[in-house]
Amino acid sequence: MIEVRHLRKEYPTADETVVALEDVNLSIPRGQICCIYGESGSGKSTLLNQLAGMEKPTRGGVRIGGVVVSRLDERELAAFRQRHLGFVFQSYNLMPNLNAVENVAMPLMFRGVPKEKREAVARGILRRVGLGKRLTHYPTQMSGGQQQRVGIARAFVAKPEVVFADEPTGNLDSKTKLDVMEMICSFARDLDQTIVLVTHDDNMARYADRIVTLLDGRVVDDRLTGN
Amino acid sequence: MRFADILRLCVQNLFRRKSRTFLTVLGVIVGCCSIVLMVSFGQGINEQNEKMLTSMGDLSIVTVYTNGGGYGVGMSGPGSSSGSSESAKLDDKAVESFRSLAGVDGVTPVMTLPYTVTAKAGAGGRYIYDSVQIMGIDMSQFDKMGYKLKDGSKPVKDDQILAGEWVTYGFIDSLHNGATRTHADGGSCTYNEATGECEPDKDEEPFFDPLTTPLTLVSGANYVGDPYVQNLYGGGMSGAGSTGSTSGDSQTVSLDLKVTGVVTGDYNKGYATSDGLVMDLGAMKALIAKINATGSGASSSASSPASSSTSATNYDQVLVKASDLSQVPDVESQLKAMGYQTSSYEDIRKSLEDQSRAIQLILGGIGAVSLLVAAIGIANTMVMSVSERTREIGIMKALGCYVRDIRVMFLTEAGAIGFIGGVIGAALSALVSLGVNMVGMWLAGGSGSSFLGSGSGGSGGDLSFWTLLRDAVVGGEDVTRYSVIPWWLYLFAVLFATCIGLLFGFGPANKAVRIPALDAIRNDR
Repeated sequence: MIEVRHLRKEYPTADETVVALEDVNLSIPRGQICCIYGESGSGKSTLLNQLAGMEKPTRGGVRIGGVVVSRLDERELAAFRQRHLGFVFQSYNLMPNLNAVENVAMPLMFRGVPKEKREAVARGILRRVGLGKRLTHYPTQMSGGQQQRVGIARAFVAKPEVVFADEPTGNLDSKTKLDVMEMICSFARDLDQTIVLVTHDDNMARYADRIVTLLDGRVVDDRLTGN
Repeated sequence: MRFADILRLCVQNLFRRKSRTFLTVLGVIVGCCSIVLMVSFGQGINEQNEKMLTSMGDLSIVTVYTNGGGYGVGMSGPGSSSGSSESAKLDDKAVESFRSLAGVDGVTPVMTLPYTVTAKAGAGGRYIYDSVQIMGIDMSQFDKMGYKLKDGSKPVKDDQILAGEWVTYGFIDSLHNGATRTHADGGSCTYNEATGECEPDKDEEPFFDPLTTPLTLVSGANYVGDPYVQNLYGGGMSGAGSTGSTSGDSQTVSLDLKVTGVVTGDYNKGYATSDGLVMDLGAMKALIAKINATGSGASSSASSPASSSTSATNYDQVLVKASDLSQVPDVESQLKAMGYQTSSYEDIRKSLEDQSRAIQLILGGIGAVSLLVAAIGIANTMVMSVSERTREIGIMKALGCYVRDIRVMFLTEAGAIGFIGGVIGAALSALVSLGVNMVGMWLAGGSGSSFLGSGSGGSGGDLSFWTLLRDAVVGGEDVTRYSVIPWWLYLFAVLFATCIGLLFGFGPANKAVRIPALDAIRNDR
């Protein structure tokens, strides 16, 4: 599903060039929950940005489902994200002026799905994440865990093939963390989706099928967990 | 994204910052109001100018005369005949050639009877109009020239004639010591001590109805005027009158005429249309020949007009009617190229037009400045909005929102601010304009009949609120509006405000578009 070949990313600064990723090779099959594990500064967030096409690589390339993401222009990239990618963010990144249903329905709105239809889908998925009673609440009226569940619902609402989760549990307490991880995994198993999970939390990494460890921009460990 | 969704988001975002949106819209309202009102004052000036010009008569008339021929003097003395040999002649051939010019509707030569004539009417000729002016025109061109009949029909025979609109007021009653009847010519008024107001004069009935009363014209080559009138006004004139009557050779010509119609007065088409008599050119030539005969042996000076009664007449002037006001300069230049002198109201009209255009530009400029300030307000609001929503824009991009949609979203917001401001501003300026007009009319109505409007008939004192309102909205013949908003101005104001919003929202929208999706993904916030 995801193919990374000889990926290299440099950040030029005033006096030196910082190499964030160096010759990363990775192949993630469909349906796999892959955890990219590493300390902060190991380059894991950079790798995620590369995978999602947020930044252009210095060298090498990323291919998702046969499409070379790093070569798409802005418009193609937007269309590609609409159809194939979902995102769960550490800081939830919900739109403050939209309620839960509208936030979840947003990716469908970008696709041009009519309001009634997309909000019906959104309500269904919100009930599944246990927010059936908070459909019309705004982000500021919800706890962190609830907001992240809205975020998860939003990531999965369009049934993308790949969902990127960047420290999805980073801002949550330990009990909520488990709920959130359970939820992500259950969605992924149901729809046979590929999850790329970036974390530095051992407990979270345990939910994954595979753990790829990064250190100083290189893959230092790559093993299956046997889940 | 569907446009309905973009619109919904845009409304949500505008409501999110209510006070900021309100203040920005307020700026647009003020700007829009000022531009609409300023232009409307210019339009008001235009309307007044137009009224003034129409009261001056038919503006599409060009008067043609030769270098030698005086303006309406009607003499072809030896000096002028030598002059006309150098320049073009105003004869029947010339008239024909004018007819073939482009943009010309009608052409008629104008002759003024070069003799003193007295018109008499009523039993025994008791009503007398001494030295009445008689104009000869080509009756076949009557309609083409734009002459209008107030009553009756055109003359078809030589003993038929048209009366000017107010000519009956020029008669005096010889049996009542020269009494006259007056015609109130608008504007004038008489102070009434009882009410303390100046009341507009009312028309008196003229002595007789010209259509049913036969007229008799009295004239002759040496005729100087009616003896009764000469005596009535006495003084030095009586001497001249007595010599005229005692000279013995005071052969007079008397001609009985029937008035078939009353022509509508228009100074631009001849003074006689309002205070004189109008007859056919052929009839006038016959009359001149008849009068000349009376003085054939008397004086040599009177023989010179005789030449003008022949078929090769050189006319004093020729009136040319352009088919359209815009054709007037063109027709004039063609005539000048043929070697004639011309005069028309075109110069006055043009200078008035230029003047009012200059005023409109100045007023519009003042209005435009305030709208520009409002536009800067829109830009400021949008810049703020974009920087506040950097993160949201990043999220939207990360979730696959097209750049185009983001741009449209911000442009819609800016355009909506302009549109709402424009609509409210246009509505508000309609109210203000209405108020200005009503106050203006009330002031004009209170201080005498009407100084600026031309004679508001009998509605001097009783200006009720509703008549004021109606006049202010629809205007009217005798109404002076200071502020006139044509329908297109509302449309223009709303469109202009919207476009200004879009234009000044373009920069911020492009700024929003350039925000990278990465900003949303970063965790360090």
